[in-house]
Amino acid sequence: MLLCPACYSEYRTWDQVADHMSGLATMSESAHVMWLNRNLSKEELSKNELGQRLSEMFSNEGSLLEWARNAVIRKIYSGPHPLILAMQKPTREDLLGYVIEHQHFLKNWVRVLSSVIERTDRNDVIKYELENITTEFLGCSGPSHFELLMRMGESLGMRKEEIQSIGPLPSTTKAIGEWREISFKMGWQETMGAMHSLELIADRGISSYGAKMHYFNVKILSSNDYPKEVKRFLGEGYSADTYHSSEALSLVEKYAGSRQSVQVAIIKSLDAVSSYFNARLERAAMLR
Amino acid sequence: MKVTVNGKVAGSKESGCALCGATWGNYYDVICGERLFFCCDLCAKGFKNIVDRSGIENINSIEIKGNYYSGRRCVVSGEGRASSFFIRFSDDAEVSEFREEQFPRKQGHGQSL
Repeated sequence: MLLCPACYSEYRTWDQVADHMSGLATMSESAHVMWLNRNLSKEELSKNELGQRLSEMFSNEGSLLEWARNAVIRKIYSGPHPLILAMQKPTREDLLGYVIEHQHFLKNWVRVLSSVIERTDRNDVIKYELENITTEFLGCSGPSHFELLMRMGESLGMRKEEIQSIGPLPSTTKAIGEWREISFKMGWQETMGAMHSLELIADRGISSYGAKMHYFNVKILSSNDYPKEVKRFLGEGYSADTYHSSEALSLVEKYAGSRQSVQVAIIKSLDAVSSYFNARLERAAMLR
Repeated sequence: MKVTVNGKVAGSKESGCALCGATWGNYYDVICGERLFFCCDLCAKGFKNIVDRSGIENINSIEIKGNYYSGRRCVVSGEGRASSFFIRFSDDAEVSEFREEQFPRKQGHGQSL
């Protein structure tokens, strides 16, 4: 069974998916047009071409990890996304925008991954996600990522109470809604793939696979221009996300019923994170 | 009214959507007295927001550079003046970020650390 990547309708062949998407695009249905514009082509394609391109895009070749990494590079690093550019020399406002919006991202992260635990009966998956959630929100041998985020905010001059009193911008809310929709509408394997593929964005090895730059300028970690709390927070993600994403996507690949539905969820998730990145830029602009 | 998107003339099915340049879809809207092609209603809504934010009623040209992710830098000309601004839309084409600026603007404004 193949899913329409825009609306999750089910079809048997790529020609049928292409027929469905092309028909709705001809009627200017915005969800399908936007998906095609942002993920495949701005130029209108014939049904045959569209079916072929979809088949190539959702290829079964290689591991899921390799496929997801290529999707991340294409979606986030080929431009690259302006947030990645901003993170090469982040200002105080860029970093505070990170703190304010990311607190909502992290809260949603543990909520969505809790839904994976709730739905799976696989011991290795439960253990993996419990460890991940603990690291993100409670902390294991040290402070949690959430606590490190708060400390980064405080080092930039904003009190923890003030940070936590600020609600998410609409673009963050929209992204959170997308991730929650994936968890409501799709299986735990798709949910797990959608969330953990995001950790590939901060994978320290991403540039060796074709990304033009890293998620942030790694010279920040040894720079005297940034508070140690900023370096600690960025450094934690830098050392952790490679293991997180590769281990998680291996588990997804091991248990996934349909690889294509996981791929659909990953692309949805990368669209959502692009919206969330925009929110961080918007928040930084508001703070200037 | 001449519309250019990322350096190419746009606004017809052949040339592409007046906001994003895509050739999917078949949506038309009359804006400032001209029938323009858009790939979907959300792009038409975004384009109308650009027109409204410019503050110019009799527009000669609209130059748009950028995309959904990067936001768009616009120069709207008419009535003997030009309005330059950066605009970013949410997924439902509402304005999520707007600032008037001289075109082009350098990256990285803000307080250095």
